[in-house]
Amino acid sequence: MTAVLEARGVTKTFAGITALSSVSLEVQPGERVGLIGPNGAGKTTFFNCLLGVLAPDRGTVLLEGDDVSDLPVHVRSRRGIGRTFQRIELFGESTVREHLLIAERVRRGDGSLWRDLLGRGRPRADELEACDEVLELLGLARLADEPIEHLSLGQGRLVEVGRALMTRPKLLLLDEPSSGLDRRETADLAATLRTVQDEQGFAILLVEHDVELVSSFTERSYVLDFGSLIAEGPTHEVLASAAVREAYLGPEVDAP
Amino acid sequence: MVLAASFVEDLVRGTLQGLPPGAVYGLIAIGFVLAYKTSGVFNLAFGAQAYVSAALYFQARNEWGWSNLAAFVLAVVVVAPAIGLVLERLIFRHLPPGSSLAKLVIAIGLSVALPNLFELIVGFEPVAGRTPEGLLPNGAGVFYDPLGLYSFSRDELTALVVAVLGAAALAALFRFTAIGLQMRAVVESPRMTELNGIRADRVSAFSWALSSFFAGLAGVLIAPRFNTLSAPDFFNLVVVAIAAAAIGKLVSLPRALAGGLGLGVAIAIIDTFLPRIVERQQWLEPIQENVTPAVPFIVLFALVTLWPELRSSKEQTDPLAGVDPPPPTPAALTRSPWLTRITIVFAVCFFLVAGLVVFLRADASWLFVVTQAVILSTIYLSITVLTGFAGQISLCQGAFAAIGGFTVFQLADRFGMSVLVGAVVGACIAAAVSALLALPLVRLGRVWVAIATLAFAAFFDAVVVKLPFVGGGGTSLLQGTRVPRPVIGPWDLADDKAFLVLAVLVFAVAAYVVSAVKTGTVGRTLAALRGSEVASRSIGISPTRARVTAFAISGFLAGLGGAMLSIQQKNVNYASNFAPFAALFWLVLVVSLGARTVEGAAYAGASFSLMDRIIFQGTFIGWILRSEDRIPGVFPLSPKWRFVLFGLTTIAFAKHPEGLVENGKRNAHVRMAKLSARRDAHREPSADDAVPGEAVA
Repeated sequence: MTAVLEARGVTKTFAGITALSSVSLEVQPGERVGLIGPNGAGKTTFFNCLLGVLAPDRGTVLLEGDDVSDLPVHVRSRRGIGRTFQRIELFGESTVREHLLIAERVRRGDGSLWRDLLGRGRPRADELEACDEVLELLGLARLADEPIEHLSLGQGRLVEVGRALMTRPKLLLLDEPSSGLDRRETADLAATLRTVQDEQGFAILLVEHDVELVSSFTERSYVLDFGSLIAEGPTHEVLASAAVREAYLGPEVDAP
Repeated sequence: MVLAASFVEDLVRGTLQGLPPGAVYGLIAIGFVLAYKTSGVFNLAFGAQAYVSAALYFQARNEWGWSNLAAFVLAVVVVAPAIGLVLERLIFRHLPPGSSLAKLVIAIGLSVALPNLFELIVGFEPVAGRTPEGLLPNGAGVFYDPLGLYSFSRDELTALVVAVLGAAALAALFRFTAIGLQMRAVVESPRMTELNGIRADRVSAFSWALSSFFAGLAGVLIAPRFNTLSAPDFFNLVVVAIAAAAIGKLVSLPRALAGGLGLGVAIAIIDTFLPRIVERQQWLEPIQENVTPAVPFIVLFALVTLWPELRSSKEQTDPLAGVDPPPPTPAALTRSPWLTRITIVFAVCFFLVAGLVVFLRADASWLFVVTQAVILSTIYLSITVLTGFAGQISLCQGAFAAIGGFTVFQLADRFGMSVLVGAVVGACIAAAVSALLALPLVRLGRVWVAIATLAFAAFFDAVVVKLPFVGGGGTSLLQGTRVPRPVIGPWDLADDKAFLVLAVLVFAVAAYVVSAVKTGTVGRTLAALRGSEVASRSIGISPTRARVTAFAISGFLAGLGGAMLSIQQKNVNYASNFAPFAALFWLVLVVSLGARTVEGAAYAGASFSLMDRIIFQGTFIGWILRSEDRIPGVFPLSPKWRFVLFGLTTIAFAKHPEGLVENGKRNAHVRMAKLSARRDAHREPSADDAVPGEAVA
């Protein structure tokens, strides 16, 4: 089976400092994979290289076997990468439903200036239906017409997830979804994500430093430290390994 | 050998000639950088401040008979810093950090308001042909020639010496005084400085005063170079200063000074050599005189679009920037369907009544201003699309409108083409130019888009308009850029009433286009981009495509409106209709009244051409009092109050980016809803008084 996502030897340096050195990673369809590491390990840089926000110095990114390394961000999105943001990124001054609507319209790719001018640019019934389905799935239905500014952070994250889902992603990249949420909210979010994933079958790559969430949510994990992969494998094994503990907690000191 | 020697001699002469103006450019650039560094304000009103000082100096000296020194003290030492202090204390201090777009809009409003407010208070009237005098007596008449190559006039030498002294004094202040040290600290991080027990707001007030002092000083020094004191010339000066400041990456004071000197010298050198090139290249002749003033604009445009480091320095890298609260959300978010319905009903009734009155009662002059209001509203819709929907500030809408006007003129004049066809062609050309211009701009931040479009507008003004195939060249100086009125079948539009009908039809089509775009894919895409560019890209939106589309629509509407305006006035009248400074007021009007809606544009058009006639001349009061004799003595008010009023209204943009009209309506709606809720509560105590879908301001 072709991997949904495959990164091969991604390397990125900033002004002589190696942020990523030859990182390779693979996500199979329907999998839940974690990418963990302490602050400054290069998680966000790697993320940005996958999405095309940053251009890696070396290495390739394959999406379902196709090399997408030279494609701009929005084209990669259309090819099937959906994402959420660590610092929430919503469209101000619009409602929850409008967030999903624009994503749906872009996915269908049938909107154009000429259609607008002919008066056919308004939301159509089938588009609204598709949005409401996802809103229902995420438990956001009753907030559909709320302005985004009225939402809590946790609800905002769900809207981001909903917006990403409208693009029918094959892979959903979650960028530190637990940041700013308390434990209960994080657990709720994880539960919702699992339900939705079971229904739609996309793969998830979770970038996170909350070890608890990673261990409960993902099946397999990669660990980054100082720009290099130091471990990979089933999440519980990875988290138990000495190297990972050392990266997070520092070298073990024998008691005198 | 002889040739080489004379070449070097010319080069040195050009350099010497360029130093005095260059020093003044550098001085303005320093002041500009000072304000930008300490408060993050891209102070476009800097030219207005320089103008106020220059005009006050002139007024005190020539009209009030003050001595040079007394006039200088008043204009530069007292008033200039005072203006800076007032602006900082009353306006810019209260804006949240990070609201760079709001600050820019307010600065644009101020550059319209300040000169007019000053002229109203002091009673100053720019008089053509009265060249302002410099600081020393007989400044234009005494010459010095230290090197035997170029004779400096006394004014030029004064400018050079004072500018160098000013820059040196500033350097000393930074280096050797406590306040200088504090200023450097505030630049680094205002919050960090405050944590160390220094009051950043005081330091910021001081640097505003200082920067405004430099504006005033530069204004008085540069004034003798103009043959008339007028605000638009000083506005162009600020564009030059921004170019110089951009050479210093907007943060380095010494490099800003060097940039100013460099620009001055470059202009003088081109001035020296260009005539010789033109002798061989005849086609350059029409633009020969105007290439040199355009140099700073070209430099600025090139720097902004081609030098990524310049843009990345825009976010001040305050180590504590992360603790800033996010900018406040606008007061009102979504519009209730009720409000839309009321608006539509009101608009239909209003237009029916107003239309009937105009058709049955209006005389020729009323017809003229009403038609102008309708056409301007069409142009303003171009701002609605670009600023309201796409969130981009363009300062070159005047140029797009002028493209429409000139196309009609050229096609009718040369080929006898129907002006209506010409208008559509003109709109299409304007759309194409606008889309092309957008390509290098789509990746820039909003402030940089504004600056780059400003540079384009200034370039268009200085060079493109002078080209024979655009502005008509020499012949148009004698004959004007004449445009005939069209005839459609039996319908002769030379008749003003018939033309008004056409103008209303064109506006209706434009309004339909704008509202269809707003509710359609393009509008939703632009709204998403306005909200978050990264998030938009993450769902597959191409920012380039969306923004180029917005620019093209906007250019089309501006070009169409510009063509209509030229047909109405039977002349393009570029200088009074479409010059960059005139077009600046368009943006101010639309943004303060409402950039998000068609009705905002309509109100803006009405305000531009009808306000003077109806309100300032006292006509409206006369209608209410039912007699022209009872109009109070304060009327007629000067039409300049229009600029002051709307210029200052932009201050509200920081809180209410949706504009006055929309904000007022929402507030009224909320109040009504509360009232009715209270009434319900009397009848039924458990009633909920919250209004669904409405945020309370």
